[in-house]
Amino acid sequence: MKDDLNIVGKRVVRSDSLAKVTGEARYTADLQFPNMLVAKVLRSPYPHARIAGIDVSGALKVPGVKAAISGFDSYGVKWGVFRYTQDHAMLHTDKVRYIGEDIAAVAAVDEETAIEALSHIKVDYEPLPAVYDPIESMEDGAPQIHDQYKNNINVHIHIDVGEVDKAMEKAFLVREDTFKAAGEAYAMMEPYAVVASYKNGYLDLYMPNAGPHVRAKALSNMLKLPLNRVRIRHINSGGAFGGRSEVAPGDLVASLLAIKSGRPVKLVLSREENAKSSRQVHDIIATIKTGMKKDGTILAKDYKVIYDGGAYSSTGPIATSIPFYVYEECYRFPNVRYNGYRVFTNKGIRGMYGCHGRAFLAGNEAQMDVMAKELGLDPMDVRLKNGLRPGEVTATKSKITSCGLKETILAAAEKTNFKKRWAKPSKLKGVGMGCVAIMCGFPMGFRSGSSCYVKINDDGQVTLVTGLVDNGQGNESMVIQVASEVLGVPMKDINLVCADTEVTNLDPGAYSQAAAFVGANAVRVACENARKQVVSIAAEKLGVKEADIGLKDGSAYSMKDPDKKMPISWVVREAFFRGEPIVATGSFFPNIDFEREWVTRPWGQMAGTFSFGTSVAEIDIDAETGRITIPRFTSAHDCGRAINPMAVEGQMEGSIQQAGVAAITEGNLWDKGHLLNPDLLEYKVPLACDMPDMDTIIISSRDPAGPFGAKEGGLTVRMNAYSAVACALTNATGELFTELPLTPDKVMKILERKKGVK
Amino acid sequence: MMVLPKFEYKKARSVAEAVTLYKQQKGKARYLAGGTDLIPLIKHKLSTPKAVIDLKGIGEMKTIDQRDGWLAVGANVTLFDLKNDSVTGKYFPALYESLDATSCETLQMRGTIGGNILQDTRCLEYNQSLEWRTARGFCLRMGGSECNVVKGARTCFANYCSDNAPALITLSAEVTLVGPEGERRMKLGNLFTGDGIKPFALEAGEILTQILIPMKKTKGAYEKLRVRDSIDYPLVGVAVSAAGAKARVCVGGVGLAPQVYDLKNAGDAAAVKEAADKASADARPVANGTLTPAYRKKMVGVLLKRAVKRVFAEGK
Repeated sequence: MKDDLNIVGKRVVRSDSLAKVTGEARYTADLQFPNMLVAKVLRSPYPHARIAGIDVSGALKVPGVKAAISGFDSYGVKWGVFRYTQDHAMLHTDKVRYIGEDIAAVAAVDEETAIEALSHIKVDYEPLPAVYDPIESMEDGAPQIHDQYKNNINVHIHIDVGEVDKAMEKAFLVREDTFKAAGEAYAMMEPYAVVASYKNGYLDLYMPNAGPHVRAKALSNMLKLPLNRVRIRHINSGGAFGGRSEVAPGDLVASLLAIKSGRPVKLVLSREENAKSSRQVHDIIATIKTGMKKDGTILAKDYKVIYDGGAYSSTGPIATSIPFYVYEECYRFPNVRYNGYRVFTNKGIRGMYGCHGRAFLAGNEAQMDVMAKELGLDPMDVRLKNGLRPGEVTATKSKITSCGLKETILAAAEKTNFKKRWAKPSKLKGVGMGCVAIMCGFPMGFRSGSSCYVKINDDGQVTLVTGLVDNGQGNESMVIQVASEVLGVPMKDINLVCADTEVTNLDPGAYSQAAAFVGANAVRVACENARKQVVSIAAEKLGVKEADIGLKDGSAYSMKDPDKKMPISWVVREAFFRGEPIVATGSFFPNIDFEREWVTRPWGQMAGTFSFGTSVAEIDIDAETGRITIPRFTSAHDCGRAINPMAVEGQMEGSIQQAGVAAITEGNLWDKGHLLNPDLLEYKVPLACDMPDMDTIIISSRDPAGPFGAKEGGLTVRMNAYSAVACALTNATGELFTELPLTPDKVMKILERKKGVK
Repeated sequence: MMVLPKFEYKKARSVAEAVTLYKQQKGKARYLAGGTDLIPLIKHKLSTPKAVIDLKGIGEMKTIDQRDGWLAVGANVTLFDLKNDSVTGKYFPALYESLDATSCETLQMRGTIGGNILQDTRCLEYNQSLEWRTARGFCLRMGGSECNVVKGARTCFANYCSDNAPALITLSAEVTLVGPEGERRMKLGNLFTGDGIKPFALEAGEILTQILIPMKKTKGAYEKLRVRDSIDYPLVGVAVSAAGAKARVCVGGVGLAPQVYDLKNAGDAAAVKEAADKASADARPVANGTLTPAYRKKMVGVLLKRAVKRVFAEGK
């Protein structure tokens, strides 16, 4: 691997930054087309009710209304990420299962007319008993939400490795604790929006999405249209965090309305609709039992984790598994049993989240600290002792290749003087450490790989075509930077065409953390193939060996004699003369065990590689109010080589906010099936003034298979930052948390519990 | 569906003109100042005025003057301008702190002191869209039969969330009201009815035109319980102003009206504790905010003691 890189590894301004900070960048809600209609959705006021009838004819009589639809206008095809989870028709004709569920919709010439028309739709409901708590939902006799799932258990993930019970008996110290966490809102800056138009049998859509190809496939199934007649186009996305991965009810609604009306239709959800009716995050109850040897070695783990899944499957099997996997990819568990249950309730649908699993992950890490303390050990040493090392295999048989876990632990500890401070916390000040690993991609069948097409144009500028998706994290800029490195062409001279099902090839999308390791790898390979063609002609023209050719600043030159050089545009023109234009493709398919299945075969290679990270939070607790403040936060992240360190640091800082500071502020509040904080006033996303001083440390493990050694950048912090805060609370108080977020009322209870013990 | 429903817009140039416009609308109008409280209410269809009468153009309501031993603050003065007026910080530190703690600076530049005092009371089950409230079923205040937070209750437990009214009450502020029946003046503390349906003792068409604060130097502080350090409304707010050893304390953020407590000797720790315990006991928070009621109740006393302690420890 060459180390004298020109641009990869440099702190460059992202290709998309200028348009975004000036407001030039267009998002779905900004789109305007001739004759475009505005859509509005009628939503269920009931948490659970049978639908006896829906009559949209009244809406059609309102002047200005051009179409009105309900589930009776659809084929009733049920969506599911897996064949065995197909339970979501998106517009149901039999019953509704949560407040805010899509029932019917209209398209009208303006928003006021559309709103007015909704009030003329008649829906005949027969309310049914509803259930909101996953524990109650599993009980016999609870209202049955879907006929096919007994006791409302949507998914049961059962993993059993080694001999857990025997190991627990042998353990020197065994501890069992239960931790809860309220589900979070994704709180993307951009509420969901979709624009659909239909002409000559072809459907054309824009929406923020994490994978256009998988979205087009789902829509073609639901609309019974051939796949080539559903086109999802590229548009900027105002954040996803896992919440824009799957086809959405709005996609079906806008498509049906566009087909009916023959006009383009735009549907923009309000902030409240986005919170109530698009997928949000699971509430979790995690019971964690750990057996440890006297020296701190983890002998066994036994887990029971309950996920409140809301009304439909969504990514159920994946969501029920991921918290376990990101933890077993970090630590060595010789014996482990995991029982994950995803349970239906009459609440909005719960999906995957970048910070998914905080009750489980923070619970594990905080419990580890309590056990370490009891054994007279330092928690950093316990993490180092149990942490996986390069070449090791996880409990469910994933081989770890590059691994900088140890380095992240040591770097974060050194920066914060962790050992000394943990050993002697001053009154109600604490320091805590959280570790995690993340798979870079996971099994998604033939969509697990990516391919790229590259052409070099007659002016020497480059066009890249790839299915890669950018949800705001900087993936587009990343692949432009990679192409710039390989082809020696400045970033500004590279145009990117991406995430458009008509022109781009399959890609995992901005999902499963695959963009850097998989998507950028395909771009690298394509560009290397194009580079060979350029080098061949340049060597011939300059009269030097191919091995002596370098490409830089848009020129090909002799590395031995840099005066010998020619612009790449001349090379390209020569190629055109020869009838062999510089075009190339490249693809990358990660080393994944495709026999692996989330429920039936939960073992085998999960991903091509894994990233690692350690966060250290420093907190102060106000003894009188229980209020936590976080003066400083340190995160160390093994992301392989950082392609753009500035972008990685940005992701790390965002993660500190979204997982770390959110651990003291964010959580959905419910009154039965009513979401009490569907807005950004009472749903407490941390503000700039709430942010700590941050130290971000990049550890470059140089992954052997990653593009220039890169892996995913940022997500480990999203999955360990809350652990650091929870552990710091334990360090400050000697007590474990019981529920996240650690709002002052919950912290006060912990302080009172501590006093009561004394 | 946060579309702003249609309404007529009228702009008044004088208080008299505003009152005349109100009369013309036959009571189906709302006065608009900064709009930071009113516009969200209209979007949520919690207020459905036929017309909105904009007071922002009334110059006489925008001034800050000292006269006859009072500081007369026009109701249109923005929170930001009042905060940065040199008199506020020097004479009324409790008010300075409450203004500084109100929302964020961007909204302080928009919101007015009059509008802040007359902001509607708030509840997690009330400040929601019409669709949300329809699904939930209307509460007492919306014409339903009982409170949606406290099952069976025939009274409203919404919270009055102005940061600044409690501070002004500790300063013995008064207000001038002008309406169809003429002008009157009352103690700010008397503006609150304790009635959930009609929280302010305003007659139809009355405009709060100015706030009058006695020009006496005070020591003071404002303590605010909230989850984030900006934007959030108070879950409990405690203002203290003192002259000599005498202090007046006012608790806001819990219930429909601010509660006042007088301390004859704020240096007496036992007396302060007694007042704190009483304030905690008096407070009846319910589960209509983002933190638990039991915790908020406890914090009333904690913040009271903290505010008093800060005033007397800092020797302000």
